[in-house]
Amino acid sequence: MSNYRAVQVTKASSGWGGPLTILPTDEKPYIASITGGGIHPVAARIAELTGGIAVDGFSSKVEPDEMACVVIDCGGTARCGVYPKLGVLTVDVTPASPSGPLINFIKETNFVSGVKENNVSLMDEVATAAASNAASQQKKSAQELKAEARAKVASMQGNQPPKKTGFIEKIGRLMGGVVGTFYQAGRDTVEQVLRNILPFMAFVSTLIGIILFTGIGDILANVIKPLAGNIIGLLIISIVCALPFLSPLLGPGAVIAQVVGVLVGVEIGRGTIPPQLALPALFAINPQVGCDFVPVGLTLGEAMPETIEVGVPAVLLSRQITGPIAVVIAYVASFGLYSE
Amino acid sequence: MDFFVHLAEGFIGMFQEGGKTFVGLVTGIIPTLICLITAVNAFIKFVGEERIERFAAKCTGNMILRYTIFPILSMFFLTNPMAYTFGKFLPEYQKPAFYDSAVSFCHPITGLFPHANASELFVYMGIATGITQLGLSLGPLAIRYFLVGILVILIRGIVTEYITKAMMKRREAQAAV
Repeated sequence: MSNYRAVQVTKASSGWGGPLTILPTDEKPYIASITGGGIHPVAARIAELTGGIAVDGFSSKVEPDEMACVVIDCGGTARCGVYPKLGVLTVDVTPASPSGPLINFIKETNFVSGVKENNVSLMDEVATAAASNAASQQKKSAQELKAEARAKVASMQGNQPPKKTGFIEKIGRLMGGVVGTFYQAGRDTVEQVLRNILPFMAFVSTLIGIILFTGIGDILANVIKPLAGNIIGLLIISIVCALPFLSPLLGPGAVIAQVVGVLVGVEIGRGTIPPQLALPALFAINPQVGCDFVPVGLTLGEAMPETIEVGVPAVLLSRQITGPIAVVIAYVASFGLYSE
Repeated sequence: MDFFVHLAEGFIGMFQEGGKTFVGLVTGIIPTLICLITAVNAFIKFVGEERIERFAAKCTGNMILRYTIFPILSMFFLTNPMAYTFGKFLPEYQKPAFYDSAVSFCHPITGLFPHANASELFVYMGIATGITQLGLSLGPLAIRYFLVGILVILIRGIVTEYITKAMMKRREAQAAV
């Protein structure tokens, strides 16, 4: 017999993990809200939809094995790992990604973060199945059970009047939210630096080291100067890079543009190329940007297959025209740059 | 023997030179970069994707806004490559133009807002390193790169939209025959 309904909890756009299906049982009726006092609206919402009992886990203790799920507001250290480790489905209202000392226990199957009230929804098929079980009688018994459970909770919390969210609590929660968001932003940033920026810096530094030390720089200067050292050369580079059969090959990861950027940068640093040409050079070495990615980019924009078929040649063709135009505009815009 | 010592020193020297450059980049760029990107990431989280979507969808009607503000917002808030998902707000014949416009902005934006495309920083940073070596400030270059970028993505958007329309018409004509 089931007096409970299952809900699905999905992550918000900035969150991680999930979706989780939460179904309280008689053994696990509690939706524990461990959010610094009071019952968080998300916990209240889950309890309302499932028929479970929302409990303020901060002021009254709930055994982990009686929890249908736990709602927390952890920015990503202790709590968000503890409950997954204890085997409790964990709903985090802050958009934290797995972290902290217990990171290994946090899985997409037991953790969902960045949850707001509208991320909680009833699972239809489960609901209808339960309804057909015992249509009218079930409602009553569910209500009875709820009343019973409420009484239990009330007795657990003693004679305290039902608390409203206090002013201090609100401030505290707001501060927690701000700090948590910044913390998560910092974590994202450092991860990005470690994963993407530092490795490329290592590559670039090695390249620059070899160029500067071996004297390859002098040879390169002879090649690059006539091309990147004047507007005609830059135009030629942009026309060649934008050739429709070449541009998709030059695109991937912008690696070629980045390497050429470094080479030109080295020559600017050595004084071979005047600094004001940096601006047109930035456009000259990069008319192929994203040409390899057109079908993927269009798919992300939910384009139809016919649009993609037309879109790929359209973009490539457009680049042949706009690539050199961009260089000319940038050249004009570079007048007065670094010229005291 | 001397020859080998010389060779070994030269070999190591090459990487010492590289190491010097690396330390320069790490101490010179990374600290600022981390703080800047953290602040912007937090700002993006505070604003929230839904609000941006609502606002951005309003910019699609006008041709100028559609290929300037709209791709800039998408690139700033969603960053490369999720920015291209904003194409869903546009009719089919404008999607390639939007993609072209947005992707063309994913380097000009990095001079001022490196978070938008942090894994491809060196198109700008490579050239910028040379400017720094000359003892010049990067501000003027970053601003001009950004502004010229806006102009270029507008032109790309308009040209690509025109080409897409023409190609679609030709296809329809062919299909009709």
